[in-house]
Amino acid sequence: MKSKKGVSGPFEKKLKELNYTIESKIGDNLDDNELTIKQLFANCSDLVVRRLHVFGSIPGMAVYLEVLVDNQLWDVGFLEPLMLHEPVSIDSPLKLYEQLKYKLASIVQPRIAMNMNEIVQRIVRGEVVLFVESFTEAFSFGLKDKLHRQLEEPASEAVIRGPRYGFIEKLDINLALIRHRIRTPLLKTEKLYVGGLSQTDVAIVYIERIAPQSIVEEVKKRLSSIDMDSVLESGYIEELISDHPNSPFPVMQSTQRPDLVSGSLVEGKVVLLVDGSPMVLILPITFWFGFQTAEDYYMNFIFATMLRWLRYLFAFFALALPSLYIAVTTFHQEMIPTSLALSLAAAREVVPFPAIVEALIMETTFEALREAGVRLPRPVGQTISIVGALVIGQAAVQAGIISAPQIIIVSITGIASFLIPNPGMSQAISLIRFPLMLFAATFGLYGVVVALIAVLIHLVNLESFGVPYMTPIAPFSFSGLTDSLFRAPWRMLLKRQHHTKQRLE
Amino acid sequence: MTRALMACKCLAILVFLGLITGCWDRKEMDDLALIMASGFDITDDGQIEVTLQIALPTGIPSAVQTGGSGKKSVVVLSAKGSSASEAAGRLQQQLSRILYFGHRGVIVFGEEYARHGLNQVLDAFSRLPESRYNGYVVTSYGSTAKEILNQPYQLELIPSIGINKMQSSKMGFSVKIDQFLDALSSQGRSPVTSAIRILHKDSDKETFSIDRAAVYLGNKLSGFLEPDELKLLRWWIGETQQVKFTIQLEPEEADYKGTLGVELLQSGIKIRTAVKNPIPEVWVSFHALVRAIDNDTKLDLSSSNIMKRVETQLSKQIQTEIESMLVHVQKNLKSDIFGIGEEIHIEHPYAWKKIRSKWTDIYPLVPVTVDVNIDIERTGKTQTPVHIKKTD
Repeated sequence: MKSKKGVSGPFEKKLKELNYTIESKIGDNLDDNELTIKQLFANCSDLVVRRLHVFGSIPGMAVYLEVLVDNQLWDVGFLEPLMLHEPVSIDSPLKLYEQLKYKLASIVQPRIAMNMNEIVQRIVRGEVVLFVESFTEAFSFGLKDKLHRQLEEPASEAVIRGPRYGFIEKLDINLALIRHRIRTPLLKTEKLYVGGLSQTDVAIVYIERIAPQSIVEEVKKRLSSIDMDSVLESGYIEELISDHPNSPFPVMQSTQRPDLVSGSLVEGKVVLLVDGSPMVLILPITFWFGFQTAEDYYMNFIFATMLRWLRYLFAFFALALPSLYIAVTTFHQEMIPTSLALSLAAAREVVPFPAIVEALIMETTFEALREAGVRLPRPVGQTISIVGALVIGQAAVQAGIISAPQIIIVSITGIASFLIPNPGMSQAISLIRFPLMLFAATFGLYGVVVALIAVLIHLVNLESFGVPYMTPIAPFSFSGLTDSLFRAPWRMLLKRQHHTKQRLE
Repeated sequence: MTRALMACKCLAILVFLGLITGCWDRKEMDDLALIMASGFDITDDGQIEVTLQIALPTGIPSAVQTGGSGKKSVVVLSAKGSSASEAAGRLQQQLSRILYFGHRGVIVFGEEYARHGLNQVLDAFSRLPESRYNGYVVTSYGSTAKEILNQPYQLELIPSIGINKMQSSKMGFSVKIDQFLDALSSQGRSPVTSAIRILHKDSDKETFSIDRAAVYLGNKLSGFLEPDELKLLRWWIGETQQVKFTIQLEPEEADYKGTLGVELLQSGIKIRTAVKNPIPEVWVSFHALVRAIDNDTKLDLSSSNIMKRVETQLSKQIQTEIESMLVHVQKNLKSDIFGIGEEIHIEHPYAWKKIRSKWTDIYPLVPVTVDVNIDIERTGKTQTPVHIKKTD
């Protein structure tokens, strides 16, 4: 039997808050029990209460929520064996339990429930509860629900080379995807329930002896201290158990890719799966992890290294290019090569705004277009890209509102922000860009450098579950560079994997 | 919470402290008058006339305004004043944009002004923070700086960019402001700049030419080096690109001019000095590898005998050329543009201390012995000239 320690905590508390406590015991009369259940589930149109004869002779009553139970399983796996079985005489609940458990091959997971509270719990989780006349115990059967979609390629993390399917909204299937890749009993999957009303399943997955036990314990501690009515997505968890919830930088990686998750598990990371969310959390991570993709490990290491450097370079562009442009053109004109300075001056000639206002207008427009692109229904999406191209590219320049070099800067910045694989990292960088631009417009390069130093100080202060965020640069570790600055060939990475445990602890 | 509050307070204080200093030097690109070149002349009544060549961005073709042809790309303004800064102040009063010296790539000294002495403006170069040291100094030859800066130039949109490119291309002689100031403040070296003149004056082919060097003695112009002498100066100071010599090897005949042209490939110059009271003595040995680039003689350079003879003759003729240049520079211009004083300083530091204050007087008397040794290393694609009739 699984431990149910999560249930009695926040759930009970929440019910008390709502003045909804279930005290009653299971009666030995089916009619009484039916009445109690119907009172508890008043106005629940999907509740089914079905009278039947267990083993042909014993009067019983099955209760379940219709929408959560697979019809075919209900018919073939439950009703048929129970009703068509040859009659036996049963005198105690224990005996009936044994009969159910050992004699009926197709019956799934029978469990005994001792009180009404437990019964209600199991019904809302999609189990079928069987009451038997004159017994004060009930039996529950986990006929799993039917609601899940097909495995698909995750749209936001497409790859050229690599597996095509991604996680979906169903926890069990996600666990299966991981188990299919790491076939060892050392792969542990511990389940907790989080959320006073939603009772969401959260699974902590790690490989014993590789993942540091201290981190696993820490994660469990933080998870069980969550006091919330509902946890509907892994984003809730990410924010609630983060070391630094006020920082824009993500200290956990969220991904839809089982291969990335499996790779991280082997490296000694801990993974959190949340039922109802296809986004799986990997922790602890470092700053550099945000710039790596699973695909880095599938292609030639030289090319993968080049791609990583490209990402670092463009991450810097995404962060600082507009502010550098503003600083140089408004404070340090002598830094620009003469002929470039002349064409910049020529392009700015007709523009009515100072460079900072231009940059703010264009950057805000770009962020708005991006947001609109996400929100707009698919068929209208095309329109926005055309309008966006016209607004940015043509009209703004030709109308003389924005200078052409500024458009180039904004476009490069926009493209650069999409090169960062971790969406959280990309958002953090887009966010910091704006204060950086204001610093550039007031203090020039001096301001940009001061702001960048402030960001750097913040970054080295961050920790992800006890691991310094900037490892392996600060604290420096030469062997760590093989998988951050470079993607070293596998023979070198393998050597490092053996040390993973020590490294993390 | 309190930490965040503290951080906010600190940030606010920092921002306001930064803003109340009052030195907010934000300038948009279109508020600047980008000065591309400036020139200095002296007027008859001893005032300084400053001429500025200012780029006009509206005249420069861009994505939005195609063309720009027909529009002027520069404006040239002049003003007089008792000092350079006063004149510049007068110019600022005529302009809606701030004078910006950060992109000045060329400084022209008018010939007359250079002969009069440069002290008045040199301090302004080193004191103005915007002024860049990698601009080039040129001295006008046969005209005023104002005329040079008013001269249109066909190949570039902005004439001073043309001058700047001619100087930075390493094809000719060039001196940057910092080099010029260095030489000026050195006791063992005299400053020299390239000299610019206007070719084909008053015709439609008017253009610049930088084919001479202006030699200074202290801060005063003492004379110019002719194109042939400039070539030797460039060789001496180690700028050996595009240094070519044409030597008369044989007497002129009906079909052959009897000349051989060579180009420097590699060169090494050794200077030795000896201090004998009261006047030091200097030996300079030039060694060079050259390649033959045009042979208008009947000589077959593939023969080693002929080659040796040619090399000896080459060395001798070039030696004569160097010696005559030395006479011009040392005796007539009295200017130590080769830095012989610096060489003595390096080799005999104690002796130099005694003579450095009298160096300008001693220098014209210093005997300089020149020794030239030239080897022809390559003869090009052909060995015998293709036009020589085959005799067998």
